Amino acid sequence: MASRTRFPADRGLTARMLSTVFLLGLLYAVFVTVLFLVGLKLVFILVIAFALLFVQYFYSDRIALYSMGGKIVTREQAPQLHGVVDRLCAMADMPKPQVAIANVDMPNAFATGRDQKHAVVCVTSGILRRLDEPELEAVLAHELSHVAHRDVAVMTIASFLGILAGLLTRVLAYAGLFGGFGGNNRNQGGGGGQLALIEIGMLAFSALVYAISFVLIRTLSRYRELAADRSGAILIGQPRLLAQALVKVTGEMSRVPTRDLRAAEHFNAFFFAPAFVKGVSLSSLFSTHPTLERRLQQLTELEAQMGRAT
Amino acid sequence: MKLFDVLLGRTKPVQPNLDHLFGLPGAQITLEASAGLRPTGQAGVCFKPATGQQFAETATEVEQLLDLGGDTKIHEESDSYGYRWVVIVNDDFSELINQVHVVNTTLEEHGWGPQLLCSVFSFAPIPGGAADATASTGAPKVAGTYLVYLYKRGTFYPFVPLPATEKRDSDSERLLNVTLASDLAMEPDLERWFPLWGLPVH
Repeated sequence: MASRTRFPADRGLTARMLSTVFLLGLLYAVFVTVLFLVGLKLVFILVIAFALLFVQYFYSDRIALYSMGGKIVTREQAPQLHGVVDRLCAMADMPKPQVAIANVDMPNAFATGRDQKHAVVCVTSGILRRLDEPELEAVLAHELSHVAHRDVAVMTIASFLGILAGLLTRVLAYAGLFGGFGGNNRNQGGGGGQLALIEIGMLAFSALVYAISFVLIRTLSRYRELAADRSGAILIGQPRLLAQALVKVTGEMSRVPTRDLRAAEHFNAFFFAPAFVKGVSLSSLFSTHPTLERRLQQLTELEAQMGRAT
Repeated sequence: MKLFDVLLGRTKPVQPNLDHLFGLPGAQITLEASAGLRPTGQAGVCFKPATGQQFAETATEVEQLLDLGGDTKIHEESDSYGYRWVVIVNDDFSELINQVHVVNTTLEEHGWGPQLLCSVFSFAPIPGGAADATASTGAPKVAGTYLVYLYKRGTFYPFVPLPATEKRDSDSERLLNVTLASDLAMEPDLERWFPLWGLPVH
């Protein structure tokens, strides 16, 4: 791809971003573990964990909009955009989400909110400027499919389960060690080396659980992108238009300054197209979105299906 | 299976509900008696054209079926949102309803039911009647009075645009909603009463 030769540093950037996301999750787990070590009880950790889940789940729409600088627009402010969303919702028989515009030049769109009643569909001013009406409609159909599939709720809970799995493993490990250390004092040594082994083993195990859940969550995310592509293309009856929009947005994405891209990267899971371009096989295992080729292939197959006799 | 669909990220294309259209003759009588409105003889079926030869063939079949009906006039238009309108002109209201139904069922039979968005029936004030504003003010108060049928919901809502602006007469719409409540399944969710500016039905 042309974009890769133009930005040869992308691969390193991708790796750094991946490590960041990975480390963030690890940090989160370490943070709660430390809380526990400082003297908090297991129940309390679960309370914290569920509080975090609660916030993520119930405020996802506001958090997402705030971090992207999206503003809810009324019908009077964006009549055309509202008109497209109105019609798509009537076709799909779903309640209309709120419509927002983020004043960002990067061409992209995202859907957020835990269910159909609290959903927000946001497009950037960059995408409004670059796509023509039918292509924008295809992008909105993709985003509305995310809303219909409840992807924000699913991904929030899925990513949380991964973190919780790692967290709980660790907490249990440390709880066992504390009990073990207590016993150690009474037994005047003897089991110390064994306990250190258990400690290392448990840490390795929890790290492994976390690593696996990370890959799984990314795989899930890619699968759900393909699902949204499919539903969106079927909704508008013209898969070709979504393919066109994808090609346009992905092409334009590589041309905007990298600073914007980095700022938006953590948010990729909810985006229409990922904000960094890559082609390495390792990153395809970790990326939130399927490759453009994979997405286009699916849309081409759909297009062919629509033309065949029913 | 709802949870399963959520987990797998699936949505099924929504099939239209065509039954409630036949409540319209009753609504026609109510509108004439209590709102001073009668059909203009125009109706439109609005759908999203799909790609491919199959859809094109179905569209042609619809045209041929409607052409058989004597003094009916039909024409097709595309709107700025990429939807296609089949506009039917027939002064006999019950025949008009039947013809709209023909378009619906033909599309549905060929598996294109999910492409149907809405159909629209146009009404106008009876000259000299209660709703005729031209007599007192010299100009019509509204640009048209429409009943919109939402296929996927099986409900109707009134759409009364004001002339020369993208504004609607909400008071009239609310009044019509109450008037027609006993004849038609009216859409209870006002969020779904979307405006159809510049629709090709008059």
